[in-house]
Amino acid sequence: MWLWFSKLGSPKWFYELSGRWLPWLVIPMALLLVVGIVWALLFVPPDYQQGETIRIMYIHVPFASISLAFFPLMAVAGTITLVWKMKLADMVAKVAAPLGAWFTALALMSGSIWGSDIWGTWWIWDGRLTSMLLQFFLLIGVISLRSALEDSDAAAKACAVLSIVGCINVFVIKYSVEWWNTLHQPASSFSLSDEAPNPPEVWVPLVIMIIAIYLFFAVSLILSTRNEILERERRAQWVQDLVEAQ
Amino acid sequence: MTMIEIIQFSSLGEFFDMGGYAFNVWSVYALFFLFFFINLYFPLLKRKQIIREQKRRSIVNKETATEISSS
Repeated sequence: MWLWFSKLGSPKWFYELSGRWLPWLVIPMALLLVVGIVWALLFVPPDYQQGETIRIMYIHVPFASISLAFFPLMAVAGTITLVWKMKLADMVAKVAAPLGAWFTALALMSGSIWGSDIWGTWWIWDGRLTSMLLQFFLLIGVISLRSALEDSDAAAKACAVLSIVGCINVFVIKYSVEWWNTLHQPASSFSLSDEAPNPPEVWVPLVIMIIAIYLFFAVSLILSTRNEILERERRAQWVQDLVEAQ
Repeated sequence: MTMIEIIQFSSLGEFFDMGGYAFNVWSVYALFFLFFFINLYFPLLKRKQIIREQKRRSIVNKETATEISSS
């Protein structure tokens, strides 16, 4: 276990392993995305209240749910950085912040476009929306904190602490819909029976899109981490050999 | 029931119109594709740049090494 742990922490090992993983993530991602999008756009029945705007859900929900993963991910990576000083963990934490800002921004924008019609407003200071906007600004905060500190060790530590503290907001986002009962609906229930409020023809494509977007998250995180490894380890012999071979 | 029969739109025009919500639905999907493209294309572009930069560096290093050894 410890051998495995220290091996995984080695950038070279991760680089080689992730290179082998990538096709196995990219292929299912592409297939699921095509199936999910075609299903969502053509075959999902229009909602009895929201009509065709229900198709926005298949983009909004996967992005909104995966954006909640960024702070816990950065907090775990940050803890590993603080306790074991593992280089790889800090690389992941560094590339996760801007990616998280992108994902959060897309969740906010798609939600806003959806709301503009069914709620009749682009924005409202509702608990869910406000806490999600706060997460966006916290991620911008993590990015600027890292670029503001010149000493990279100090920056890694400061970002780790901010990421751990920032996790509180994830709970606020998660429970905001129950604490403050305003416009954003609480999480929906899904069931296999036909009498449930959400029948399978509505939620199966949603599950497909969620898996596809989670894979997309993994792929983009791995691609950026690999770039970060090449940059930070550029003096290492294996990187120089790899560059020569290209 | 064939796949064609369960398509929710009877014409292409109806599909593009999205029941009057064309702007909302299509702009979200357009944002998604833009975002998808950006987040895959830029890491790949950056990777090329890093490798190019690193190659240039190693050439310069070799030249300086030979200069030092020959002088």
